[in-house]
Amino acid sequence: MNCQKACVLMSAAVDSELSLKEEQGFFLHLSECKECKDEFEEAKKTKLIIKEKIVQFKAPKTLINSIMELTSLSTMEHEETLLFE
Amino acid sequence: MDKPDPTRHVKTRTKKESLSREERQKQLEFQKEAVVHLNSLYNYALHLTMNPSDAEDLVQETYLKAYRFFNSFERGTNCKAWLFKILKNNYINRFRKNSKEPGKVDYDLIKDFYHSIKDIQNDTSEAESDYFHSLLHEEVYQALHSLPEEFREVIQLCDIDGFTYEEIANMVESPIGTVRSRLYRGRKLLREQLEGYAKKYGINTDNHQ
Ligand SMILES: [Zn+2]
Repeated sequence: MNCQKACVLMSAAVDSELSLKEEQGFFLHLSECKECKDEFEEAKKTKLIIKEKIVQFKAPKTLINSIMELTSLSTMEHEETLLFE
Repeated sequence: MDKPDPTRHVKTRTKKESLSREERQKQLEFQKEAVVHLNSLYNYALHLTMNPSDAEDLVQETYLKAYRFFNSFERGTNCKAWLFKILKNNYINRFRKNSKEPGKVDYDLIKDFYHSIKDIQNDTSEAESDYFHSLLHEEVYQALHSLPEEFREVIQLCDIDGFTYEEIANMVESPIGTVRSRLYRGRKLLREQLEGYAKKYGINTDNHQ
């Protein structure tokens, strides 16, 4: 495997989305190519950053209530007024 | 937009009185399968619209539609992915086709968001002290939103919402190979952005192992 092929597989390697065969080839290349190894580590880190730093907001109570209302008993009428297509 | 369908109106009227067993079952199942993803959907809508009230509207429409078409949801598949797709379609219909411009980042809004949650930012296990960890939430958010939409979208779906490549490919209607390369390029672009922030603070970015 060359560097170009390794780059194609890079993201899938980060996300554990490689097939077994791809995985073997990819990590074999990494063991002999520092450049791709570094790139791989950086990509993993970037993913981690996103996961850690992007804050998930809580849905507002009013929204939660209205969704619960929509999907519970005798509220089918809402559909008529709120649905648009 | 809101064209009431007279036939449906009559139907629902009669149903309203006494909900059938199936209807109750459907509601229960819908709450278990779909309503549990409310927070994720709301955040996805926020990322798309950058506007809390638009986001609320989008989520509400999404659930209305989802409930209405819940029978067409393939049981056993990822309901969250199904909902995301509905929301995305709603978003496109609503904002792309109207004059309202999508994807315009309101930085004041982001700042407001992040200021309101500043107090709870110290809870992560940031043992490592490399430059990435010195970045602020707000900066990462800005960096993410500075990416072209095709890259931002896949990063968000993958890293924030944890969808598989197959699910993402289905949502963005592109082959898995495209998802792979967008993620690769997107993460690279994002890293460049983040390193820019780090340099601004004089943090040495070459010092990571
Ligand atoms: Zn290489």
